[in-house]
Amino acid sequence: MSPQLYEGMFLLDNDVVRAGWNAAKHHITDLVAKHGGKVVTARRWSERKLAYPVRGRRRGTYLLMYYELPRTGIPPFIRDLDLSESLLRYLLVRCDALPEGEAGLAALEAAPDWSAPVPPNDEAGIYAVVQNGIVEAPPDRMVEVEAAPDHDSAAAPATPAGRE
Amino acid sequence: MPDHNLTAEVAAAESSAVPKPAKYPEHLDYKDMETLARFMNSQGNIQGRKRTNFNTQRQKALKLAIKRARHMAFLPFVG
Repeated sequence: MSPQLYEGMFLLDNDVVRAGWNAAKHHITDLVAKHGGKVVTARRWSERKLAYPVRGRRRGTYLLMYYELPRTGIPPFIRDLDLSESLLRYLLVRCDALPEGEAGLAALEAAPDWSAPVPPNDEAGIYAVVQNGIVEAPPDRMVEVEAAPDHDSAAAPATPAGRE
Repeated sequence: MPDHNLTAEVAAAESSAVPKPAKYPEHLDYKDMETLARFMNSQGNIQGRKRTNFNTQRQKALKLAIKRARHMAFLPFVG
């Protein structure tokens, strides 16, 4: 049985990112390798103003990583994430397949001339839902629904036998 | 005895008269903040099913996505 694919979103401290993006990234990716997993893709997703302060930080850099990890490696991996001081928040969700285009975006970061922009000051900017122009839904994910179906009545069982 | 053909015609006419709901994504992702924010009010509450017109599964998916987005500080808990 092949290991399950997971999606991990990690909120990194901007002070750590300023010291070096690659070191901050490898800190997370090395944890996956340490526990017997394999990193499929890992890239800088965004640097944005947080909706609320997290551990006194008002801005943060997000790392989006897709990785495979055996089931036995998950508890120690989570324990290491909890102990990591450079990590403000993380979210791990199970993933069926690698999203389309994700490999290409991660490959851009692997280019030799790519460098992560330096994060601004914590007080810079204001929080808004749309920042950096990255949160717009791709047009292929928009579908037009013909009519609002009445799910409650459709899901309800028919009249039980012997009631009428 | 009811006329089944007439009933079907009336049902078809009524269904065509129902305006199409607004477009919304097939898959609700916690990273898609712009879409999720459309289903929150100005105080940060998740809109109910009567307002979103979602079925049970989609409303649950919306709740999960918004709560994940809140955890990652993409969306506010309040306001």
